[in-house]
Amino acid sequence: MLLFTLTSVSAQVKFEAKVSKKKLGVNERLRIDFEMNKDGDNFVPPNFKDFTVVGGPNTSVSNSWVNGKRTYSKTYSYFLAPKKRGTFTIKQATIEIEGEIYKTFPVTINVTAAVDRPNAPPEASDIAAENIHLVAEVSKTNPYLNEGFTVVYKLYVSPETGVSNWREKDNPRYNDFWSQNIEIKGLNIQKGLYKGEEYRYVVLRKTVLYPQKTGKLKIEPLVLDITVEVPTGRADIFGRQIMTKVPKTVTAGSRTINVKALPEQEKPADFKGAVGDFNFKLTTSKTQLNATESLQAKIEVSGKGNLKLFELPKLNTPSSLEVYEPEHKENVRTNLSGMQGSISDTYTIVPQFRGKYPIPSISFSYFDLATESYKRITTDEVVIDVLEGPTAATATTENNTPSTKQTVRPNTNSFAFIKTNSNWKNIKSEPFFKSSGFWALLLLPFLAIPLAIVVRNQRDKRSADVQGNRIRKADRLAKKYLSEAKKNLGQKETFYESLERALHNYLKAKLNIETSDFNKERIDGLLNERQVQQPVISDFISILENCELARYTPITQVTMENDYEKAAKTISLIDKQMR
Amino acid sequence: MKGTLKIIFCFFSLLGLSQNDTIFEEANALYNDGKFAEAIDKYESILESGEHSAELYYNLGNANYKLNNIAPSIYYYEKALLLNPMDEDIKNNLTGYAENMTIDAIDKVPQVGFSRIINNLVNTYSADMWSKLAIGGVLLFVILFLMYHFSYASSRKRIAFIFSVLGLLLAFFSVAMAFQKQHLDEKDNPAIVFAQEARVRSEANRSSDEVFRLHEGTKVQVLENYEDWYKIQLADNSTGWIPNSDIKLLMTF
Repeated sequence: MLLFTLTSVSAQVKFEAKVSKKKLGVNERLRIDFEMNKDGDNFVPPNFKDFTVVGGPNTSVSNSWVNGKRTYSKTYSYFLAPKKRGTFTIKQATIEIEGEIYKTFPVTINVTAAVDRPNAPPEASDIAAENIHLVAEVSKTNPYLNEGFTVVYKLYVSPETGVSNWREKDNPRYNDFWSQNIEIKGLNIQKGLYKGEEYRYVVLRKTVLYPQKTGKLKIEPLVLDITVEVPTGRADIFGRQIMTKVPKTVTAGSRTINVKALPEQEKPADFKGAVGDFNFKLTTSKTQLNATESLQAKIEVSGKGNLKLFELPKLNTPSSLEVYEPEHKENVRTNLSGMQGSISDTYTIVPQFRGKYPIPSISFSYFDLATESYKRITTDEVVIDVLEGPTAATATTENNTPSTKQTVRPNTNSFAFIKTNSNWKNIKSEPFFKSSGFWALLLLPFLAIPLAIVVRNQRDKRSADVQGNRIRKADRLAKKYLSEAKKNLGQKETFYESLERALHNYLKAKLNIETSDFNKERIDGLLNERQVQQPVISDFISILENCELARYTPITQVTMENDYEKAAKTISLIDKQMR
Repeated sequence: MKGTLKIIFCFFSLLGLSQNDTIFEEANALYNDGKFAEAIDKYESILESGEHSAELYYNLGNANYKLNNIAPSIYYYEKALLLNPMDEDIKNNLTGYAENMTIDAIDKVPQVGFSRIINNLVNTYSADMWSKLAIGGVLLFVILFLMYHFSYASSRKRIAFIFSVLGLLLAFFSVAMAFQKQHLDEKDNPAIVFAQEARVRSEANRSSDEVFRLHEGTKVQVLENYEDWYKIQLADNSTGWIPNSDIKLLMTF
């Protein structure tokens, strides 16, 4: 008795209203069950004012013991036909169980237009359509040009149904995209929600796409042929549901991707379409080597982004280096987050001549998605130093004569040292050509020809005039020796002093003697030796005597002039007669 | 007063000369120690004083070469060659070393036939040298003509006459050559590309098509100038317009 009370207390009372369907055509019927797990009294059904009760109430009671546990259920059933279209509420039903009153929740029923086959069991294909969904999930619907995104196809299957077989009917083609499928190993059944209901799903296909065109691009749908197992609602003799197999074609609906163009503003000149996050390097295997040895220069872009979809920048090398076609290498993994890895071009360079060869810096630009801006990476300049080898200027002629001695070959074409001396010139130097000096020097010599001819003619004329010549010569001699005396003409003492000195000087010059001792006998002898006539010699001596006398005697201006004339004449005569 | 001024002027000019010589020696010492950048600064300070020489430009080219400055080294070697076209050291370092650093390979269109012979002849001497030769020819003519005119022996007369005529011909020829050389010099306006990469366009504006690209150190001929652009010609006779900031003229002293 005690045990019974305990169980009665612990067992919860349940009173529920259940409808066969919540949505029905106006020409269909509906069953509503009020179910309780304890027997009660005074069942009051709700007022079915919008429906006509076609049958019922039917009462059914079931009682079972399983493992010593009693399960009881009592059901009142009504069959209802709606009176009109609309949304109706079936109100609460009440019952009194063990002295307490329990109520059901009100139920809302939606009555729609008349259906073709009222009250027929739903067809398997309809059930299949409701319970199988193929969905394409796109990670990004408005990517930039060349920005990677993924499309994942998932097949949702509701728990009631099953899929026994599937086949891809139409593989989607991704025009205007670079695409790569990611292989899926084995179908993993997972649980997930689809429109708020619990489903099982499998991922059928994952694809990474890089749009190659801007604008609205369409992704073609994936079409699958599947065989769906649908419960028929009947059970076999063991109580299991009998399933029918229904073939069905599902599509994942085409999706439109709106591809944004990369901003034109500030687009670098060396941009070649790289989008993502990259690192850029230029490396050489060595920087010092001898001519005809080889080295490798490697241009490498690593990182994340559309690695296979752009060109690497080219290596610029001095024209005097021999460079071979680059070897292109790709080391790229593609997964759901896009392409990752590195691509590289390896150039083989063989310098032929000695010298320094700078490989200029190379720049690589890409569009960084994180900051939505262009970025540029510039490598450092690499200088290749070729230490030994022929120089470019000369063709090499190697003489390979075997010799036991080591020949000393001067390296004629080594890099020449600076100059240590300099001749400075003015930076702004006037050109000589076309300067006035040039014209003068070019033309004036021509003037010299008539000038010289005129001068010559006059000289000829003069030399023809003998008498005149003599006079001119005497004048010249007098001018040469007697100019001082002439200047002092009028001043007695200085005049005679200078006249005497002039005569002495004349003799010294003419006879080439170095002496201050001029007595009359000596002068007489010397001039006689030179065949000067006696009266001229005596004239000369008399002038010298006059010079001495004049210092002590008064002399007039006229005498001075006479003496001067006489001296001039005598000198010219001596000059003429002297041999 | 005038004399003293003259002496002071002479003294200053002498002082300036020796100053440049000492700077030159200091710069050479810096170069030899491997301090090329400092050496370049010193060399350039000499240029600022208004004096230059082939040796100075040559040393500047060497220092720039050691620093891997492609365009400046070629620029200065070319300038040195303008002042002293016969120097073997300059030619060696320019063609054997500095020009190896350039990137552009340009085929030279060879001058053929008569024009090449004429041009070679004209380019033997500078215009000034030709004009000096002309003056020499004129003097020779005048002297020998007077000798011819005044001498009496007929054999001497004949020889003097022939040589005087030859002198006159030499004078005329040299004047013609000087004019031709000056004409060639006016047309010759070489420049060196200084920009690391210069785009040469078909028209003198940035929106026109790119004809070709030049790299640092390439020698070009400037044909004409329009606004901020130079029309240039390469050794293979292709032409285009380049912004004037990308190249540096060699003829500006």
